[in-house]
Amino acid sequence: MTTEESDLVLVKRVQRGDKSAFDLLVRKYQHKVVKLVLRYVRNPAEAEDIAQEAFIKAYRALPQFRGDSAFYTWMYRIAINTAKNSLASRDRSPIAYDLDLTDPEESHSVQTRLQDPDTPEGMALTEEIRGIVNSAIEGLPEELKTAIVLRELDGLSYEEIAAAMECPVGTVRSRIFRAREAIDKRLREVFEGGLGRTEEMV
Amino acid sequence: MSDERHSSERPSSERNGERDSQLSAMFDDELPAAECELLARRLVRDDALRAQWSRYSMIGAALRAERGIALHDRVATRVQATISQEVTYDNAADTASVRAVTAPGEVLRRAASRRWTRLAKPMFGAGIAASVAAASILFLREGRDTQPEILAANPLAAVATSTPESIVVTNAPAPAQLAANRSSNGEPSVYTTPSPTSQSSIVPPARLANYVVAHSEYSGPLSRRMALLGLVGTDSSGEPVATPDTDDPNAAAGAPPRAQ
Repeated sequence: MTTEESDLVLVKRVQRGDKSAFDLLVRKYQHKVVKLVLRYVRNPAEAEDIAQEAFIKAYRALPQFRGDSAFYTWMYRIAINTAKNSLASRDRSPIAYDLDLTDPEESHSVQTRLQDPDTPEGMALTEEIRGIVNSAIEGLPEELKTAIVLRELDGLSYEEIAAAMECPVGTVRSRIFRAREAIDKRLREVFEGGLGRTEEMV
Repeated sequence: MSDERHSSERPSSERNGERDSQLSAMFDDELPAAECELLARRLVRDDALRAQWSRYSMIGAALRAERGIALHDRVATRVQATISQEVTYDNAADTASVRAVTAPGEVLRRAASRRWTRLAKPMFGAGIAASVAAASILFLREGRDTQPEILAANPLAAVATSTPESIVVTNAPAPAQLAANRSSNGEPSVYTTPSPTSQSSIVPPARLANYVVAHSEYSGPLSRRMALLGLVGTDSSGEPVATPDTDDPNAAAGAPPRAQ
């Protein structure tokens, strides 16, 4: 087994002109990048905008990416720099509304109210997805649940999980896949047609 | 396209367990590269598989209870919309290589370079053609240029060495001055490119010499050599042909030449 290979395969495809491969990378890391940016800006909508900008910067800079580091490590740096630049430019921008924003808490609250484009439906959908996933994982057999948790929450590699669970790497791969399948099945039942329908709803 | 449509409409009952297992491993960066490549090809044209990939991402985000993160593909959708209008890294010639390809800016620079090369090639060819034409004219005019009055009007000068780069066309100095201008190794210390003269009797060789000198950097070695031979050949006495320099007041005023 190799690590970071799949990202590198996708990166090389992008470098050869396959834009769809970049879409896969974005889909894979969009939530992580938004979460990362949320350390700098507390407004989720603004974080999404910055994440979007970071991904576009990454796409434009991808020809220079040589694979010396993992794609996400590289993307991580771009996202942080984009967030910092966004903060710096925002600080330089004149305040366009006549409010006392000297208090950071008040400032954040106002900005959140002004900029957050999330509709109640969208937030409800997100909460619904979380509920489905958590419910599905609670219903998993213990070995599947442990495997997926070690992977997704603790970020362990298959080899590390195999060592922790005292089983072959192939078994870990199978357990994680089965856990995902079980959760995904619940999601598909809800959305009837997968993510495309989710996008329409959002 | 029909394959893509078919795959995107594939019912879940037709799901491929082994391929989905590979997808899960690929998502975790745990799939060998060879299998990754094959699956990546499938992924980019299979909407259903790509949606499954997105849901795997969503499951991870939900498990990590990432607060404030909306579990949708809005960022991906926006990025996809933006980059669909971006320059595609079209390096078909380099597809065998996995090296990084050009950035959009670099693509534009390369395109400009290719355009310049396309323009420069005919210009370069025209330069060579002009040099060859000049050499031909020199040969044709050889007989007339050796007339005695022209030779008499020509001041002394040094022209020609064996290499075209060392063409020397100087104003005619006195022998003593000529000797003084030469360094210890015999090379002249002053190289002067002559400008056109008003003296009609010596205009043809001067113009031709100027032409050859001015175009020497654009013409090929062979054509330069031919042109130089033509210039040298205009002096029937075997002496180098002199060209006057209008910077010299004597020459510009039509003063009699100094004897060598």
